Amino acid sequence: MTAKPDPANTADKGQPVNLTINGLAVVAHAGMTVVEAAWHGGVPRVTSVGCMEGVCGSCRIMLRRGKQVSVGLACQTFVEDGVEVIFLPPASAPRHHYELDDFKDGWDIHERFQDIFPEAARCRHCHGCVVSCPKGISVEEGVAQASAGRFRDAGETFFECVMCELCDVACPELIAPAHVGLFSRRVTAHFHLRPPNLIHRLEELRQDMNKQHQDKPENTQEEKDE
Amino acid sequence: MSNGIPLAEALAHYRPDAELGALPEAGDVDALLNTWHPDHLRDSVVKLTVGANAGDSCQRELAGLLQAEAFIDEADLAGTPVTDVDVLVIGGGGAGCAAALMAAEKGARVLLATKLRLGDSNTVMAEGGIQAAIEPDDSVQRHIQDTLRGGHHAADPALVAAMAGDGPEVLRWLIQQGMQFEQTPTGDLHTRRAGGMSAPRLVHCRDYTGLEMMRVLREAVIQHRSIEVWEQSPVVELLSNETGQKCVGAVLTSLIDGQLRIVRTRSVILATGGLGRLHLNGFPTSNHLGATGDGLVLAYRIGAQLRELDSFQYHPTGLLHPTHLAGKLVTEGVRAAGALLVNGLGNRFIDELQPRDVVCSAILRECGEGRGIRIDDQRVGVWLDTPRVERAQPGLLEKQFPNLMTRTRVSGIDPRVEPLLVHPTLHYQNGGVVIDVNGATTVPGLYAVGEVAGGIHGRNRIMGNALLEIISFGLRAGATATANRDRGPKKVTLEHVNRLRRALTIAGMPMAQRTPQVLPDYAAGGVWER
Repeated sequence: MTAKPDPANTADKGQPVNLTINGLAVVAHAGMTVVEAAWHGGVPRVTSVGCMEGVCGSCRIMLRRGKQVSVGLACQTFVEDGVEVIFLPPASAPRHHYELDDFKDGWDIHERFQDIFPEAARCRHCHGCVVSCPKGISVEEGVAQASAGRFRDAGETFFECVMCELCDVACPELIAPAHVGLFSRRVTAHFHLRPPNLIHRLEELRQDMNKQHQDKPENTQEEKDE
Repeated sequence: MSNGIPLAEALAHYRPDAELGALPEAGDVDALLNTWHPDHLRDSVVKLTVGANAGDSCQRELAGLLQAEAFIDEADLAGTPVTDVDVLVIGGGGAGCAAALMAAEKGARVLLATKLRLGDSNTVMAEGGIQAAIEPDDSVQRHIQDTLRGGHHAADPALVAAMAGDGPEVLRWLIQQGMQFEQTPTGDLHTRRAGGMSAPRLVHCRDYTGLEMMRVLREAVIQHRSIEVWEQSPVVELLSNETGQKCVGAVLTSLIDGQLRIVRTRSVILATGGLGRLHLNGFPTSNHLGATGDGLVLAYRIGAQLRELDSFQYHPTGLLHPTHLAGKLVTEGVRAAGALLVNGLGNRFIDELQPRDVVCSAILRECGEGRGIRIDDQRVGVWLDTPRVERAQPGLLEKQFPNLMTRTRVSGIDPRVEPLLVHPTLHYQNGGVVIDVNGATTVPGLYAVGEVAGGIHGRNRIMGNALLEIISFGLRAGATATANRDRGPKKVTLEHVNRLRRALTIAGMPMAQRTPQVLPDYAAGGVWER
């Protein structure tokens, strides 16, 4: 992206950088992120900043350098001379609806998926989602895996997804890839994660509870190891 | 302020393969804490003058916010649109989502209002994991003991027992919602042992545990039929009944159009998180932008009792450089993996795996006594010797700490070859609103869960209990708030605001400042004007 900021040369003393944010001219300093530049320049109505370390996915921006347009996260993007930045509005309400509790078991999950995300099978491999992902996820591949019913693999492909939903914006088929990825991760845990150590401890606690109900008086401190 | 060893000179002293001598004598831990911990800084603590905690100790800047004027009065309520719901949840982090999901599960119509975007919270940034006693050699009882000991025995044992007892059930609930965890080859949940634990108890999803939890809960909330979500909608004031004794709703504004809205309800669940963005005592913070302590201010003004207002956790290893990540965490796991702390002379100065408050104080001592590494007039820190970890276990940083590596890569820093400059950073509010085991505060109709609540961590939180606490008490409060079946408010007033205003006037306190803060000053340019 930009040159590495020099520790001896703080943001305040960095080279001046001219850019526009939401249409306002801002003079920032080299080494600042777009978030810092927006604050520095007093840009109003920037209300989509969250974690400032690239995990909350809120600070979505569109950048224009000459004819080249791209998207990214403002807290992970350093200022450059001449770049035009627009903070994008929050993602719109989801178009795909489901509640995991409505699923009886895992056998019809592929059918369910096709009902909920019918567009996923229609990917035309335009790479819009891949190019827009600030985390470098192989979004197209993940969607293909989910479409083939390989939800565990698809979920793994989306492991670093921060739900910025920039791929949802980029997709001409309205597939909502980020939500396909999260659906894949969720059904994998919901139907397949059955850890023996946790199940054993839950059963122990259930038996303790029953025992306490049976001999009500005098049972307060029965578990006292150490 | 400007003393310390210049960067170039310190770099000359630094060698990743240097044989570091034995640690200096540990000395008196209490004296170290009393001299250097920020909670004990001269003038950093005052006594509260008015309100439910009058006479109690409180951090100075926080006291200013608690004893301040409100944004609105009765005239603002006239003509304001009203929405009626069963349960209002304020805050869209892990605790708020858990509370909303449980309330909806129990049949309530729920409104979840959040200041920024749903999921913008400290939850999403949690790296380490969540504690639950599930291993054969562990027990709920040991989890309780570790938590009480870690908190210097200042916690409420009933709250700690409730949380630790919920641990296994909380994991089951999270898996039910679709959250994944790291597994061993035989399918068990993988556990790690971290500072203050007497057995391996930390369950995790690589170093992205909070992100995995938050994206799953966020999706579950968005998809739920009975939960409505208002984003960009901070609360400016709670509402009380005619006597000012019961919470019956809240007044919200919108960061988009500035319109006020009244929400009338039987139960309000505060899940507003912490206050790192107040930068107490001038410290940087690891917290997200919305962590401005709004919940404490709102709860205190309506009369709720608070506790441990003078106790905060400063995480020892916040990044000092690069500038845009100042205050952001390097997880404790890196020290657990063998990274040492080294001063500007190239010497170790503390056992790196001591409790967080002790390590933090030792770093501040090195910086304060001129053995830190000086970048410029404002910034002094110590080395976190990550190249040593890479030398001892090649590939470990890349494999186990993808989050750290991704973040530093953006800035062209490689922790495998250069040490990181670190300084303590404001991380967690140990105290908060007094609650019972159901999250109920001392004010009827008002619940508090998550970081805004107090009493669970005493005066020092141990790793992994925050993610457990938010779900455990979130679910408890969601269920209890829904069970509150009285007929709802007849009249909504600002009687509690008038009461505090009178008290401030009688005490001759300044009323120039209006709270809650909502956004830090530096981020508020044009966003929040009043």
